[in-house]
Amino acid sequence: MITGWSDQVIFGVTIVSWVVIGSGMAQTTVYLLQLVIAGYALSRRPPVARSALLWRRYVDVAPPIALIVPAYNEELNVVESVHSMLALEYPNFEVIVVNDGSKDQTLGRLVDAFQLTRFERPYDDVLTHQPIRGLYSSPMTERLFVVDKENGGKADAQNAGINVCRAPIFCVIDGDSILEPDALIRAAQPFIDDPERTLAVGGTIRIANGSRIESGRVKEIHLPTRLLPLFQVVEYLRAFLMARLAWSRINTLMLVSGAFGVFRRAEVVAVGGFTKGSMGEDLDLVIKLHRYMIDSKRKYRIEFIPEPVCWTEAPESLSVLARQRSRWQRGALECFFRYRSMLFNPRYGRVGFLGFGHILIVDVLGPIMEVMGYILMPAFWLLGILSFEHFLAFTALVFTYGVTVSVCSLILEEAELRRFPRARDLAVLTAAAVLENFGYRQLNNIWRVKGYWQYLRADQNWGEMTRTGLSGSPK
Amino acid sequence: MLSFIWTTSIALSALSLAVMLLLILRRVLHQRRTIDDADGRKRLLEALIRFSGDSDAGALQRAIGSVRPHVAVDSGFEFLALLRGDEHARIVGILVESGLASHIMAQLKRGNEAARIHAAEMLAVLPPEPGIAELSAALDGDRSREVRIAAAISLCDLGSYQPLQLVLGKIGVRGQRSRRLIELFSRFSSERVGELTAFAVREDEPSFVRAAAIEALARTGDLNLADFFRHAAGDPSSDVSAAAIRALGTTGHPDVGAIVAEAMASKHWEVRADAADAAGRLGGVEMIDALVGLLDDEEWTVRYSAGRAIRQLNTTGLDTLRRLASSDSSRTQRMASLVLGEGQAA
Repeated sequence: MITGWSDQVIFGVTIVSWVVIGSGMAQTTVYLLQLVIAGYALSRRPPVARSALLWRRYVDVAPPIALIVPAYNEELNVVESVHSMLALEYPNFEVIVVNDGSKDQTLGRLVDAFQLTRFERPYDDVLTHQPIRGLYSSPMTERLFVVDKENGGKADAQNAGINVCRAPIFCVIDGDSILEPDALIRAAQPFIDDPERTLAVGGTIRIANGSRIESGRVKEIHLPTRLLPLFQVVEYLRAFLMARLAWSRINTLMLVSGAFGVFRRAEVVAVGGFTKGSMGEDLDLVIKLHRYMIDSKRKYRIEFIPEPVCWTEAPESLSVLARQRSRWQRGALECFFRYRSMLFNPRYGRVGFLGFGHILIVDVLGPIMEVMGYILMPAFWLLGILSFEHFLAFTALVFTYGVTVSVCSLILEEAELRRFPRARDLAVLTAAAVLENFGYRQLNNIWRVKGYWQYLRADQNWGEMTRTGLSGSPK
Repeated sequence: MLSFIWTTSIALSALSLAVMLLLILRRVLHQRRTIDDADGRKRLLEALIRFSGDSDAGALQRAIGSVRPHVAVDSGFEFLALLRGDEHARIVGILVESGLASHIMAQLKRGNEAARIHAAEMLAVLPPEPGIAELSAALDGDRSREVRIAAAISLCDLGSYQPLQLVLGKIGVRGQRSRRLIELFSRFSSERVGELTAFAVREDEPSFVRAAAIEALARTGDLNLADFFRHAAGDPSSDVSAAAIRALGTTGHPDVGAIVAEAMASKHWEVRADAADAAGRLGGVEMIDALVGLLDDEEWTVRYSAGRAIRQLNTTGLDTLRRLASSDSSRTQRMASLVLGEGQAA
C-alpha cells in the first residue's frame, strides 16, 4: 500500500519502474530464448570425433589457411606462441606474424628464435594499412612469415596480414593466445562441408588462468584460483555456448571473436577488411559481411562451432578488467550506431531484427537501464513510492534469472561437451555461476556505463592491457 | 504479473540448480568409469603392440574382452590405422572374432552423428559382409548427410559401387555442397571413370559437384583423360572450366598450349589465374606472350600467377621479366619487378 505521495509522483515512479522492469524482461527473454535455441543446436550437433579421425577424413580436401597473428609488445610470449602455432595439426597452413611497430623486443625475439632473414614477397595491396618495413622468412620452417610494419593498431595489423597472405581462408588469433592443436582442422570443417556458403567460423575462447601450460600447450586444465577470472569462465561459457551458438543456429551470429576467427579472404577484402581505429573491429567486420552478402543477395553462413578451442589469459585485476569491459562496450555502441540503418530494416531480415535487436536490448539499453534500476528501485521502495512487488520483480530480473541463465549455460556445457575434467570443477563453477550475480554483474554494468560515457566523449583510448603471460612470468 | 516474474524466477533458478547438482553427481559416477576406460585403453594398446611381436591371438582376445566394447573399438581401430598388410588383416580378424563388428553396426544405427560417421568409416576396414548391407542401409536412410557421405565412401572402399546418379540422389542436394565428394569420387575405380566424365559434362548438374568430379579425375593422373579435360576447359561454368584447366596443368595435352592460351582470355579471373598457373607448370615458352599480357590484368591474383609462371620458364622467362622490370613504370613493370625480387621462401 503506497501512501503519503502525490498521484503524479506515484504515476511517474511507476512509469520509470516499468521501463526498467520492461528492459530487464526483454533482456531475460532474449537470454532464455538463446538458451532454448543453443540447447536445441547442441542436441542436434553432437561432439565431433577425435582429431585423429578428422585428420584422416579431411587431410586431402582441407583448404589452405593462413594464420594471421598481430603482435604488439608481445616479447614475453611471442616465441612460445609461434612455436605452438607451427605445431598445429593441419595439413596446409602458414603463420603470418605481424609485428605492429612493437616498442619492445617482439621482432628481435622472433628474429633470434627463428633465424629470420629479410625477403621479398609480392602481395596484393588491396587493403590499406601503415607501411610495411620488411618481410621476414625463416630457414627453419617454410610455414612462418613475419611482417614488420609501422604501428597502426590491431585492425591495421590484421589488414596487413590479409594483404600478405595467399590462402583463400585466414584465421585471426591474438599473439598471446594458445590454439588447441586440432583447433584449425575443427574450425575448417564448415569450409569443407559447405565451402560455397561458409564465410566465417568462430570457435570457443576459454580462459587459461590456473591451467598448467608448457611449451605453448595447455597440458592440464584447472580452474582459476582467483575469483575474478573464475567469474569470467562462467561469463565466457554464457557468451559462447549460449549466445553465439544460438545466433549461429539461426544464421544471425553478429560476432566472431578477433581472438580466434576464421574468415574467407575474398569477402573480407570485398568489405574493406577490418575497420581501423574501431574499438570492436571483430563485431564491425561481421556486420559488414552480413550487410555485403545480403546486399548482393548471396546465400551465406557465418557459424560458431564450440569444439575448436583457443585459450586466452583473462584479466585478474579489477582495473584491467574495467578497461577491457569499457572498451568492449564502446565497440558495441560504435558498431550499433555506425550501422544503425540496419536496425529493424526488413531488407536485412533476421540480422536487422534479431541481431541488431539483441545489440539494442543487451548492449545499448541494457547497462543504462540496469544501473538506473540499481539506484532507483531500492530508493523508490525505501521511500515508500514503489510497491514491494515492483521491487521484487526487479530483484528477480537482476539476480535470480541471472542465476538461472548462468547455471543453464553450465548445464549445456556439462550435458553436451564435458570439457571440465573434474566433478569438483563443476561444483566450483556452479557456485561461481550463482555468486557472480551478486556483485560482479553489477560491477560489469557500471564499467559498461563508463564505456558509454567514454563513447559519448569520443574517447578512443584502448587502455593498457596488462598481462602476466600465460607461461606465468610477469610482464 | 509482477509476482509471476518473481515466482517463475525462483522456480527456474531452483530447477536449474537441481539439474546441475544431478549432473555433478552423474559426473562423480562417470569419473570412475573414465579412469577405468583410460586404463583399459592403455592395457589394450600394450596388448596390440605385444601382438605385433608374438602374434598371440588368445592374449589379444582376452585383452579385448577385458575392456568395454567402445574402448576396444576406438583403441583397436586407432591402432589399425598405423598398420598395413598381413598384420592389419590378422588384427581385423581378431576384432571381428571378438564380436566388435556387431557393436560397430549398432553404433551405425543408434549412435549420435559423430559415432555413426566413425562407425561407417570403421566398417570399411572390416570384411565386406555384413558391412555392405549396413552401409547401404545408412546411405539409403540415415538422416545426416555427413553419415550418408561417409557410408558412400566406405561402400566404395569395400568395392560395392552403386550408380553415381543414384548415390548423389541418396546423399541429397545439401550434401552435394561438401568437398568430401572429391573423396568419394576419388574412390571410383578406373572402370567407372566413364560414369564420372559423363556426369562432369552434364550442364544441368550443380557446377560445384561437376568441378569436384573433375578434381577427382585429375587425381588419377590418367593421361587418357586429357581430351576430356580439354573439352571441359571450354565449359560455360567458371568452376568447371577452372577445374579442367588445373587438371590439364597436371596431365598435359598435345594442344594444351592453345587451350591454356584460350583460357587466359576467359572472362572469369579464376580461370585466367588457373590458366597462368597451368602454363607455368607445363613450361610452354610459346605461351610467354599471353602470360606477359596477363601481367596487366585487373586482378592481382591473375597478375601474380602470370608473373610466377613466367619465372618458371627458365632463362627465357627470367630474361623477359628483367626486360619488363627495367621498362617504363606500369602495372606490368611493377609486377615483373616484384616477382623478380621475390625470395625463394615466398
